[in-house]
Amino acid sequence: MPPGTKIFDPSWVFSHLPSIWERIVQHLQLTAVPLALGIVISLVLAIIAIRRPVTYGPVTAITGLLYTIPSLAAFALLRPIFGLSLLTAIIPLTTYTLLILFRNFTAGFNAVPAEILEAAEGMGYTRRQRLLRVELPLAVPLIIAGIRLASVTTIGLATVAAVLGDAFGGLGQLITEGIQGFFPTKYLLGAALSVLLAFAADVLFVRLERVITPWSRARAGAR
Amino acid sequence: MAESSAHRAATVEFEHVSKQYDETQIKKGAPGAVNDLSFTVPAGKILTLVGPSGCGKTTSLKMVNRLIEPTSGEIRIDGQDIAKRDVTELRRSIGYVIQQIGLFPHQTIEENVGTVPRLLGWPEARWKGRASELLSLISLEPSKYAKRYPSQLSGGERQRVGVARALAADPPIMLMDEPFGAVDPIVRDRLQNEFLRLQETIAKTILFVTHDIDEAIKMGDLVAVFQTGGILAQFGSPLDILAAPASEFVARFVGQDRGLKRLSLLRVSDVPLQPAVTARPGDSAEDARRRALDDPQRYLLVIDANNRPLGWVAHGDIPAEGTITETMPNPVSPTVNKRTTLKDALSMMLDADVQTGIVVDRAGAVQGLLTVAAIATKMREGEHAPAFDDLGALGEAESEAGPGEIDPNLDAGAADQAAIEQGTV
Repeated sequence: MPPGTKIFDPSWVFSHLPSIWERIVQHLQLTAVPLALGIVISLVLAIIAIRRPVTYGPVTAITGLLYTIPSLAAFALLRPIFGLSLLTAIIPLTTYTLLILFRNFTAGFNAVPAEILEAAEGMGYTRRQRLLRVELPLAVPLIIAGIRLASVTTIGLATVAAVLGDAFGGLGQLITEGIQGFFPTKYLLGAALSVLLAFAADVLFVRLERVITPWSRARAGAR
Repeated sequence: MAESSAHRAATVEFEHVSKQYDETQIKKGAPGAVNDLSFTVPAGKILTLVGPSGCGKTTSLKMVNRLIEPTSGEIRIDGQDIAKRDVTELRRSIGYVIQQIGLFPHQTIEENVGTVPRLLGWPEARWKGRASELLSLISLEPSKYAKRYPSQLSGGERQRVGVARALAADPPIMLMDEPFGAVDPIVRDRLQNEFLRLQETIAKTILFVTHDIDEAIKMGDLVAVFQTGGILAQFGSPLDILAAPASEFVARFVGQDRGLKRLSLLRVSDVPLQPAVTARPGDSAEDARRRALDDPQRYLLVIDANNRPLGWVAHGDIPAEGTITETMPNPVSPTVNKRTTLKDALSMMLDADVQTGIVVDRAGAVQGLLTVAAIATKMREGEHAPAFDDLGALGEAESEAGPGEIDPNLDAGAADQAAIEQGTV
């Protein structure tokens, strides 16, 4: 760090608000797209796994294997195919969510008590109706728990995508530039915003769960 | 549509129904197998299926809504083979109550009760109206309970909601798998009584699984006793099964106290009453004394102007002349009415000085006398009678299914054996 540099320079922050905002938006994109894709893929895999339990082991093994690939290596592997594109960033970030999401989703479905499934079947729910109206709502607490974990992980991990260039680099770009330019304000700001985003996402999903599972709050109240 | 539960019920017939499991299914913990089951449940009757665990009673129940498919044989509802019906449509036309209740925790009580109507696509106003009607029927104030979640209810309340949910689309048939098994004995007794009262108005055809012989006898118009291996050991009215167990297994299963159990099923109205020798205060003592000799025990029953009993006077205590006075009778003897069970009546009689029950009507007027000898005669009568003789419902079952189909296990030899065993008790 060159002598005379301040650890944190608020005036720089105020003079660069539009570009900082742009990085935040990029970061949200880098997080939300993989998360959304991961949720859809995991939901499909989880539904297959509860119908055909033999698939659970292989799917866990594959998602676990994908999870172990270092992110930098994944970017390097995909770069020859997709170039320095958003896709190169999104594919690994998506695969990293799968292990957490798939495990939580299947746990959520498996936690639905057998007698409730039997009652639903015996009363004449079709398989599809049972899935959408009984199993899915009852799996929500564990589904959301998985999404919370995956979102926090992805927000942190997305900072690495900065290596792919500044067109979509997100908060990682601020951090990288700060380190390379010996400018602590930038990397401190990037790190702080990343942590704040993770917190915000977590709070958002907790709230969401409360809103969509009114029955879990009703417990033992009002009697 | 018949939303008022206006006596819609259906006949359920099992014809040579078997369910076998292969080795791997058994290892995985398959439920009990069923072996060549044939019986008929007449419309509007309760059949209790009772037996030790793994005897196939739950399997039999689940074959009716096709949660389990039989290996062979045919089950018919109102003469129609259920294997030919659409399984979803079939299930929606059958009420289903299980021991763990299985209420949906994420739905309100109203939504839970409205489950089948909603599946059938009833408009919201209609299923909500039906739910509220049913909550009233099971004595849960709709304004208080409709919007609650199952977790906010007590075990007994949840169990009642389970029954209401099964009744929602007014199904002709109800399947109940140990419906009151998860509540304490006091609540269970109340739920049983409530349900029997409810059945008087809804008159559904009900198959009711229990492992408790007392519950089977109390709840059933008919009882099917299963033994391990899915074999129907006996099928008949509760009284028949208590009076003439078809085999040693049934006799052991119903218990040593089956005589007492029968007493609790029979009522005073089932026994012929003896006439009472009566007199009113002011009547001639001489005449009363003479007439008291007609009483087997030589007692005179003194009654008031409204025929209400005042008490007994022994023949020897009646003066030779003068009149009967109000102070003469010794005011001890139990009064019973026609609805009193023989068990209660006998218990009261054993406690009293004069071991004769005075049977009175609602106004308290004497109708006749109940003697220990008459009860004993009634008990003997049942024991020596062949099985399936005295319940109207059985007569129907026999005429519809043919006697051979009712209980393949009860042949003449078994009945004789039962009679012999009775003689030694």
